[in-house]
Amino acid sequence: MDDTTKRLLHRLIRRTSTEMLKTTLGKWGRLTMAQRQSLDFTQSKSALTEELLTLCEKNGWTVKNVAELEMIHVIDNPNQGMWHAYRLMDPEDDACSVELTQFKERFKTHLSEVVRHVSVKTKKHTDEAVWIRIAWGDTFSRPNHLKPTYVVYHLQTPYVFVTSLTSKQKPLLSQALILSTRYQGFKDANLSGRKLTAIRDLLMKQYPLVFPTNFSSPVAEKDQTMSNPCIIKEQDGLEAKRLQMARGAFGDGVLPQLESAVYKLETKFKDQTNRIMTEREEPFRCVVKFTSTNLLESFRQCAASGIVSPPITPLFSSIPLKGKNYFALKDKTLGSSP
Amino acid sequence: MICVIVSVLRTPHSSVAVQMRGKRKSCRQSYSSCLGASSRLGLKPVLTGRRLNTSRRAPKSHSITEKVTPEQLALLLKTEWKLSYVTPLYQFRHTQLRSYCRQLSAFIAAEKQQGLAVEVEGMQSGYRVSFSAVQGMAEADDDAETVTIQIHSKSMLAKQDEPEKLVWSGWLSCINGNPDYLHSLPNDFTCLPLFGSSGQEVFTFLVQSWFQKTFDCCFGPLEINHTSLQWLAALWTNCHTESSIQHLKLIWTLPVEPQLQITYTVNPQDAWSLWSSVRKDPEEENEGEEESIDFEEVVRFIQGLKNHFYKHFRLDLSAGTLKQVSTALGSAKYSGRIKISNSRYMITTLTLLTEAALLKMPI
Repeated sequence: MDDTTKRLLHRLIRRTSTEMLKTTLGKWGRLTMAQRQSLDFTQSKSALTEELLTLCEKNGWTVKNVAELEMIHVIDNPNQGMWHAYRLMDPEDDACSVELTQFKERFKTHLSEVVRHVSVKTKKHTDEAVWIRIAWGDTFSRPNHLKPTYVVYHLQTPYVFVTSLTSKQKPLLSQALILSTRYQGFKDANLSGRKLTAIRDLLMKQYPLVFPTNFSSPVAEKDQTMSNPCIIKEQDGLEAKRLQMARGAFGDGVLPQLESAVYKLETKFKDQTNRIMTEREEPFRCVVKFTSTNLLESFRQCAASGIVSPPITPLFSSIPLKGKNYFALKDKTLGSSP
Repeated sequence: MICVIVSVLRTPHSSVAVQMRGKRKSCRQSYSSCLGASSRLGLKPVLTGRRLNTSRRAPKSHSITEKVTPEQLALLLKTEWKLSYVTPLYQFRHTQLRSYCRQLSAFIAAEKQQGLAVEVEGMQSGYRVSFSAVQGMAEADDDAETVTIQIHSKSMLAKQDEPEKLVWSGWLSCINGNPDYLHSLPNDFTCLPLFGSSGQEVFTFLVQSWFQKTFDCCFGPLEINHTSLQWLAALWTNCHTESSIQHLKLIWTLPVEPQLQITYTVNPQDAWSLWSSVRKDPEEENEGEEESIDFEEVVRFIQGLKNHFYKHFRLDLSAGTLKQVSTALGSAKYSGRIKISNSRYMITTLTLLTEAALLKMPI
């Protein structure tokens, strides 16, 4: 058993809770029934690690075996690490008929063509997503299993989610993906977050966004039926309006848990009280980053409580509408991204 | 005994009262009452109540490196310090620093024996405390020289040539302290109102306890409030032409659930342009006088940033709290943590903080 295998196993055990480890090992299926039953999960983490390392040696697990164990763990715990969304562009005519086996074979072949040493492992998850684990090497070095890239591709869709990809590896992955999915382009979707499920839901519009239309006003109607219209105070009216506005932009239900949004502004300085700056030709360059444990919920609260004045800027409502959380703004082409 | 010290630390106000009744030697006069008196006498133009100065000198590019040795400057720079205020020290002598080293070492050893948890890995045979005065830091004639304190741990197992490990460092300072207040102090008092510490909390606690016991003073937490943070943003930006600020970063938090944090990072050149646009016409200022900055200009600067932000996001940053300001020259946090990265503008920053510390002292 080589050092990498040990380190990979050791790191995995350290990052996983005992309970989770038990489940993951069960799914992996490389322990004999007797070995599984003899493992004591109540002992300390370090003792358990020692026991598993001994078993690893005894059973002759390879680095690929342990990489598979890691993959099972990552698939079950997708909300870790930083996920970046990408979009495949311009499908060929046969793009929608690419099947799993076909995709897997092509992807491996195409990636091996551009990278001499690479280790690819794919797995299909229940939700139509193909999980790919790539350990990168180069002409001179063997694949590094300690720094793998994970790719989640939803078959027959243009959406790809990637974690731990360096800028050097990006064109290689892009090429292999384009060729094996029968698309012609690969573009940054300007959406990233720690929760894979949240950014997937945002991009694929898989969350229950209940947007009231501009023409109906359910809040006002409700008010009228519930209380005497004569005693509705102006205050209540304002509050109701704010609530309606908040719901209009961010919907009514549970929101996908996004942690941040970044706006790179290169726009003319806007402040009526400052003539010198407002008359300046050059744009005012700044970067504004909003962070929260649940950003969209914070925005909805800001709108509902009146911290954000009506109407809500498209800069905020674009996040759920366009499925983006990185925006670069320049004058004239407002709302466009690089 | 430890118990008593804890209560002193937690409730500076009541402890002062106790000390005043008990020993009658604590310094009674507070900074704000002094300010009040002097403004009534017409010594100072308009200083109302417990507020920071509304005008201060523009930071000069100080030749501090010529006055203070690089080793001593290095002790103060690039470390993030947790700030506290300290009331004037009774019978503190800069000539006695060597004796203070011994006394504080002995105090720490004694407290450790009494079972106060001093958690350090490995076997410790003791601590070596060093006090030193930083010559050349003081700006005004009335400023007492800054004092630095360092605690090194001596390991029993360490080889002879192995360097001792620095476990804690701190300093006490007074830069451009209000002369009226400093003159009003009785002779036996030394005013070093600003205390910075870095290292394990337990040492901060021990050092403060020893100071309280020895110099009959009291400590309290010093936040860098909204006004001071705005001042620092402007003072640092004002330096940009001489020493690049790299960026001006301001962090606000907004009171919604879950909490929203906004990080506003401005291009250094554009921050400087905005700052220049809000400066008063230099012709309006009296000739021959040193360049000064008014708080009015600081407010206009921050308001400009807020207005530009509002135009894009329709969100008024005034609804939130300014929590942090940082540039390449330093960073300051509302929680009372400061890092000064460039010695050239250290004096300006410390002048502001000295003033804030004097204001925070209990009456």
